[in-house]
Amino acid sequence: MNKQTTGRADIAAPPRFGFSSNVMQVLYRLLAAALLCMVLASLSDAFMTENNILNVLRQTALLFLMASGLTLVILTAGLDLSVGANIALSACLAASVIKATGSASLGVATGIGCGTFVGLANGLLVTALRIPSFIATYGVMWMLTGLTYFYMGGQTIHGFPPAFRQLGSGYLLGIPMPVYVMVLFLAIGTFFAQRTIWGQQVYAIGANPVAARLSGVPVQSRLVLVYTLSGAMAGLASLIILARINSAEGDIGENLTLPAIAAVLVGGTSLFGGSGSVMGTLIGALILTLVLNGMNLLQVNASWQPLVTGVIVLVAVWISTLTRPSDE
Amino acid sequence: MKYFVTGLAAAVAVLAAGAGFAANETIAVFTKNLTNPYFQAVRVGAEAAAKTLGVKIDQYIPTKPDSIPEQLSQVEDVIVKKPDAIVFIPVDYKALVPAVEKINAAGIPVVNITDRSAGGEFVSFVGANDYGIGLATATDLLKAMGGKGNVIILEGVKGALSNTDRVRGFNDALKGFPNVKLLASQPANYQRLQALQVMENLMQSFPTIDGVLAANDPMAVGAIEALEGANRKALVVGINGSKEAVELIKSGKLLASGDFNGFIQGCIGVEIAVRALRKQPTPKELILKPAVIDTTNFLSYETPVEERTCPTLDQVGAP
Amino acid sequence: MSSRTVAPSLIARVPGVAIALIVLCTVFAFASARFATPTNIANILVQSTILLLLALPMTLVIMTEGLDLSIGAVLTFASIILAVIVIATGSLALALSAALAAGLCFGLANGVLISVLGIPPFITTLGTLGIAQGLSLLVTDGQSIVGIPRSIESLYSGSLAGIPLPILIATLAYAVTHILLYHTRFGTYIFALGGNREALKIAGISVRGMLIGVYLFSGLMAGFAALLLTARLNSAHPTAGIGMEFDAIAAVAVGGTSFERGNGWLFGTLLGVLAVGVLRNGLNLLAVPSSAQVASIGALVIIALFIDGLRSEP
Repeated sequence: MNKQTTGRADIAAPPRFGFSSNVMQVLYRLLAAALLCMVLASLSDAFMTENNILNVLRQTALLFLMASGLTLVILTAGLDLSVGANIALSACLAASVIKATGSASLGVATGIGCGTFVGLANGLLVTALRIPSFIATYGVMWMLTGLTYFYMGGQTIHGFPPAFRQLGSGYLLGIPMPVYVMVLFLAIGTFFAQRTIWGQQVYAIGANPVAARLSGVPVQSRLVLVYTLSGAMAGLASLIILARINSAEGDIGENLTLPAIAAVLVGGTSLFGGSGSVMGTLIGALILTLVLNGMNLLQVNASWQPLVTGVIVLVAVWISTLTRPSDE
Repeated sequence: MKYFVTGLAAAVAVLAAGAGFAANETIAVFTKNLTNPYFQAVRVGAEAAAKTLGVKIDQYIPTKPDSIPEQLSQVEDVIVKKPDAIVFIPVDYKALVPAVEKINAAGIPVVNITDRSAGGEFVSFVGANDYGIGLATATDLLKAMGGKGNVIILEGVKGALSNTDRVRGFNDALKGFPNVKLLASQPANYQRLQALQVMENLMQSFPTIDGVLAANDPMAVGAIEALEGANRKALVVGINGSKEAVELIKSGKLLASGDFNGFIQGCIGVEIAVRALRKQPTPKELILKPAVIDTTNFLSYETPVEERTCPTLDQVGAP
Repeated sequence: MSSRTVAPSLIARVPGVAIALIVLCTVFAFASARFATPTNIANILVQSTILLLLALPMTLVIMTEGLDLSIGAVLTFASIILAVIVIATGSLALALSAALAAGLCFGLANGVLISVLGIPPFITTLGTLGIAQGLSLLVTDGQSIVGIPRSIESLYSGSLAGIPLPILIATLAYAVTHILLYHTRFGTYIFALGGNREALKIAGISVRGMLIGVYLFSGLMAGFAALLLTARLNSAHPTAGIGMEFDAIAAVAVGGTSFERGNGWLFGTLLGVLAVGVLRNGLNLLAVPSSAQVASIGALVIIALFIDGLRSEP
């Protein structure tokens, strides 16, 4: 949410800002994640096994990929509620292309293309039509969902070529493929955010869009860029999910958006924009995945699971606000 | 501005034309959501029967899947339209009773299918039995396991009647096989990806899993993917009898799937409604026998629903 | 204080939501013979009441640059509490008090977490959503609660002097919120919370107290809405209120209140709620395929705000 009139005390004028405070936040979160690991390891023998760790990493990778592009959007004090619906549509389109042509690469192109196109549409709605991002992406979410249901007609598409499935279920040197993709995008995302002018501008826009514009940042085109990137990442995530579960249905996006947003926020990125990091999102994704993993290993009853998740999310974010440099 | 008005007029004309089309009899069919292939089969069955009988169908599905208030609103809106008859699957068998009572008050004959409503007057109930199907499917699995070993239950959405009954069926089946141990019962919300991840997590706690009871097909498929990914084997059963399940049974990856036959329920539901309108005799109740699709009988299920023909009431063996 | 404290003058411009509502009503009235009948209009109004009760406090919350994602789950939980107590004791007064108390508890929790602990509203209310949902599941074990005395149902289906009771309740709720927002100091401070927090602090007003108050109001309204919901369903179900928070937020935003612009318009919220109700009703009457219905809701939201965007300052 945007504070248009108030400035922010922790943002200085020089280009390389936000770096050290972000590092501290990341470290605190790593500590929280490590704590969670220790607790789970003591409560369950199965936790610290090689297989479980690999599983957790792979599940984290899926969540991270959904949330990585979203991080950039939230850094600009925006929100993208259409992530889940975007993933569903992209996955379904990619699935039918793969089925129709037998070509995995065409499917990949379709998935990423669809995601990018949706992201671009979001960006234009927010900048050119000046619709608040919450509402614009909410509207897009409904439209994409309707489109996906219509397209799929209640059917499922399943069974993809093994080469494609490697993307989601395969291993390389004993580590699941999605983890490599995660690391790759962590590197790209962090480089973009911290080391490029474009990234710096994204932070600036989130912190104080008026000041950013006045100092020459092309706010509109950067915003379009972030939403497009968010969409593209959703497209990529949809492919990995597709490869993992080997099928596409109209409703796969249903429970994905809120966890993705939660991962970003638990990771320390502020909804007010201007502070946070892609690395933080990764740790946020890790924490959420650990919670689910823990609940399964400890066989927490179904009725308790939403409650446990809610409490842990609150505690995690509370701890992080205690450690954030005060800006009030 | 001129174009806007013209466009608007065109839109109105199109909508009016579509809505004004009159058919002999109109039947409103209510299903729970757009995503579960089971309800799609019901809708296809309803349309197929309608074509044969020469009536028109209007489909009503909540935009938010399984939304109680939305289905209530849809019923209220539909009553204003006064369809000739209604075929009704309540989103929740208890919470939608007031809606049925409103339909009764409006004097519209209504047929209840799939989930038996806890109240209200119906011409007939046509259903399969979640509990019975859970029981039959689980029994199939436990027998195939030779009556011994370890099983896991993957539950659906907590709070959904289908889930409660199916899981109850699973548990009751287990009582008949004392040498089989239930290792865990965890929810995966009827979702494929979630079931995969839950299964992955459970496999860490339990090195030996011989059987998986999944409360629906997508979860069963998720479990199978998880098992294959870890190079482990187990017998898996699901419920729904979906096209995907049939193919997996054919290829030997899925042991069996409990069949609801939504297609038949849609067909018969509409047929009974039409018979009621035409003053022909109708059965008070029709419970389809729980069927389990496995390697012995999958051939008859291979035809996609769109290509099947509706069985008639007599063929299904109504009293 | 800036011009943000004054509601936009109706004469100066017709908001997108009003245009959307007028267009929808016109189109549906022509396309369906049943739309413009008294029964149907009454249906639309009555069906919109629960959402209105949620959207009214949401307007205030959004004006403070916050969000209450938990309101749907709190509504559900409150309705369950109400059902359980009315069945156990037979006393509606006791049950309603319990439901209101439940709503207020969550409201307090939200307010404290947000203002004292400084956790962002999105995450706070997401967390309390999970907690409320969890409690609902635990209390009911996933089952519906039935056996509610029939007299409760008449709260929803009954009428007074020819006007359906829910409409009277909703009108009362609107009046209370209107007075709160436009005719009390509390309301003035809410406008300030949205755009000019520093001014409040300088004036010595407790921002924390304000925020807690706003979320308490939200919880209270959820409690009242629970009464209507339980009466409507004649039962309580742990999934009954799912997703309503987003509908409420959409109605508020369609109505013109915007967290990014810091302004607020209560009447706009009412129009937004009606627009959504009219759209759904019209599409049902025309038996439009469900996937198209889903897409239309998104289109309505975007178009209404697009029209707004055409006329606001850059």
